[in-house]
Amino acid sequence: MIGYFRRNPALLGVLSLIVLLTVIGCLFSKDFRSVQNFQNVFEQSAPLAFTALGQTVVIITRGIDLSIDAQIALLSSLASGIVDSDAQRAIPVVLGVLALGVIIGLITGGLIVALRIHALIVTLGMAAILQGLALLYTLTPVGGIPDGYDFFGYGRVLGVPVGMALAVVLFAIVGFVLTYTRLGRQIYAFGGDPRAATMAGLPTTRVILFTYCLMGLLTAVTAVFLVSRLGVGNPVADGGFNLGSITAVVIGGTMLTGGRGSVLGTLLGVFMVQLLNNLLNFLDVSTFYQWMIQGAIVIVAVSLYVERRRTRA
Amino acid sequence: MRTTPFLADRSGKQIDVVAVIERYGLLAFCAVLVLLTAAVSPAFRSSTNLQNVLTNVAPLAIIVLGQSMVILVRGFDLSVSSVMATAAVIATQFEGAGGLAFPLTLLVTLVMSLIVGLANGFLVTKRDMSPFLATLATMIVLQGLRFAWTRGAPSGRVPPELQLIGAGQFFGVPVNLLVLAVLTLIVWVALAKTPFGRRVYMVGGGPRAAELVGVNVDRTVIACYVASAVLAGIGGLVLVGYVSGVDNWVGRGYELDSIVAAVMGGVALSGGRGSVLGGILGAFLLTVIFNIVLLLGFPVQLQFVVKGLIIILAMAVYRLGGGAAG
Repeated sequence: MIGYFRRNPALLGVLSLIVLLTVIGCLFSKDFRSVQNFQNVFEQSAPLAFTALGQTVVIITRGIDLSIDAQIALLSSLASGIVDSDAQRAIPVVLGVLALGVIIGLITGGLIVALRIHALIVTLGMAAILQGLALLYTLTPVGGIPDGYDFFGYGRVLGVPVGMALAVVLFAIVGFVLTYTRLGRQIYAFGGDPRAATMAGLPTTRVILFTYCLMGLLTAVTAVFLVSRLGVGNPVADGGFNLGSITAVVIGGTMLTGGRGSVLGTLLGVFMVQLLNNLLNFLDVSTFYQWMIQGAIVIVAVSLYVERRRTRA
Repeated sequence: MRTTPFLADRSGKQIDVVAVIERYGLLAFCAVLVLLTAAVSPAFRSSTNLQNVLTNVAPLAIIVLGQSMVILVRGFDLSVSSVMATAAVIATQFEGAGGLAFPLTLLVTLVMSLIVGLANGFLVTKRDMSPFLATLATMIVLQGLRFAWTRGAPSGRVPPELQLIGAGQFFGVPVNLLVLAVLTLIVWVALAKTPFGRRVYMVGGGPRAAELVGVNVDRTVIACYVASAVLAGIGGLVLVGYVSGVDNWVGRGYELDSIVAAVMGGVALSGGRGSVLGGILGAFLLTVIFNIVLLLGFPVQLQFVVKGLIIILAMAVYRLGGGAAG
C-alpha cells in the first residue's frame, strides 16, 4: 500500500487535500457536515466522473477530447425530444443514444487515425459539427422524461446515489481493463511512445478507436444522466465538461504528455473539485472567486507533479 | 499548362506535387471557395460585404499572429480570449478621463498583457507545465479577476479613438486592417529576418538541440507567450472598438478559432514549422466561411456544422499532400 502511494504521489496529495477540505468544511459549516450534503456531493459528482473517466483514457494515449459539451448538447436534446415523456420509448431511445455516442467516438477516432491530425483539431471540428446539429434539431429544450425515469438522476440504493454507484462501477471496470488486460497495456504503451508502439507491432488503430469509442459511450451516459436529472435536454447547455474533465484528470495526476496516469487518481480529482465547489458555496464565496481558486489549484497541482520532460525533446 | 521555373528548379524534377499542395493548397482552396461563392451569390461580391469581411477578419487575425508564434515553440495559448475580454473591460474604465482615456487604456492593457504573458511563459518554462494547462489556468484566474472587478456586469463607453480603430475607414480601407497589416509586418520581420526568429524556429524544431547550440530556450518561449498576450490585448481593444459595447465575454471562442486558423494556415502543432502569413490566411478563410454560410441563406446553426466540416476537410487536404497538419 505504501509502495503504491510512493509510485503515485499525486494520489496521496489529492487524498490529503480531500481530507483537509472535509475537516475545514466540518469545522466551519454546519450544513456541510450533514450526511445529506455528502450524498449531494456524490450525486453531483456523477456527470463529471463519467466524462473525466473517458478523458483519462484518451489523455493516457496522448489525445484530448474537446467535443464533450457539444456531444452532450446533441445527445441530451435528442433523448428528451424523442422520448417526449412517453415511457414506452424510454429504453429504446436510451440504448439508441448510447449507440450514437459510440458511433460519434468511432468517427472521431477514425478521423484521427485516418488523417493523422492532432486530436485537439479533430475534436474541435467535431464539436462545431455536433453543436450545429444539436441546434438544427432544436433551439430550445424540448420534450421530457416519463414519470419514474428520474431514478437514474436522483435515486438512491441503500443511501448511495445511483449515478455515483454506476460511476464507481465503471471506474472499477476501466481501471481493471487498464491494469490487467492486454488492451490496457497497449493503451499505456501507445501513450508512452506512439512510434515505438507502432514499430513493435501494436494494433495502434484499434487502441485509438477503442479510447474514443469509450469516450463517446461515457459522454452518452453523461447525457442520459443529465436528462434524467434535469428532466429535459438542453441544446445550448455548456456544462463546462471539456475543461472540467481535463482539470479533474490533471489534478488526479495523469500527465497530458501521455503514457501515465490512473483512473483512481481521476476519481479522487473529481471528488476534490466537487468538494471544493461545495465548500466554497457553503462559505458564501462568489463564483468569481471560485474560478480563481480553481485556476490556482490547477497551477499548484501541476507544478507539484511536474517531471522534467523538456530534456527528452 | 506551363510550369513555373521556380517550382521546376526547386524540386529538380518536373513539379513536386506534395510541396505545391503543402505550400499553395490552402490558398487554392480559399480562392476556389471565394470565386465559387462570388459566382453564385451577388450579395457576397457586393463591396459592402467584402468590406464587412475585411473588417471582421482583423481581430481574429491579430490573435492568430500571437497564437502562431506560441504554436511555433510547441505551445498553445488558451488565455487569449480572457486577455481580449479583460482588455475590453479596461477600455471602458476611463470614461471620466477625457482625452487621457485612450492612452491610459493602452497603458493598462499593455501592463495586464505583459503580466499574463510572463505568467504563461514562466509556468510553461520554469515550472514545466503543459501549455494547455498553464494557459487554461491563467485564463480562469483572469476570468475570475475580471468578473470580481466588474461584479459580473461591466458597463461604460469605449474611447472614441478605439471606435475609430475598430470600425473606422481610411480611404475606404478599414482602419483595423491597417493595424493588422502593421502588426503582421512587425511579426513577420521578427520571425523571418531576425536572430530572434531563427531562435523561435530552432526551439520549435527541437528544444534540446537548440539548447545545446546555446539558444536560451526558456527566454525564447517566454518571449513568444508575451507576444501572444500583448497581441491578444491589442486584438481585444480592436474588437471592442468594433462592437463598441462591452460584456465579460468579448472574444469568446477566439482561443480555439485562432488555433484552428493557425493550423489550417500550415502552422504545425508539433512546432517549428509554418509561417504567420499562413496563419493570417487561415483566419481569412475561417471568416469567409462564416460569411458565405450566412449569405447563402443557410440557418445560422448550419454555420457550426460547415465550420467543423471545413476544418476537417482542410486538414484532410493537407494530409493528402503530406503536409504538416499535425
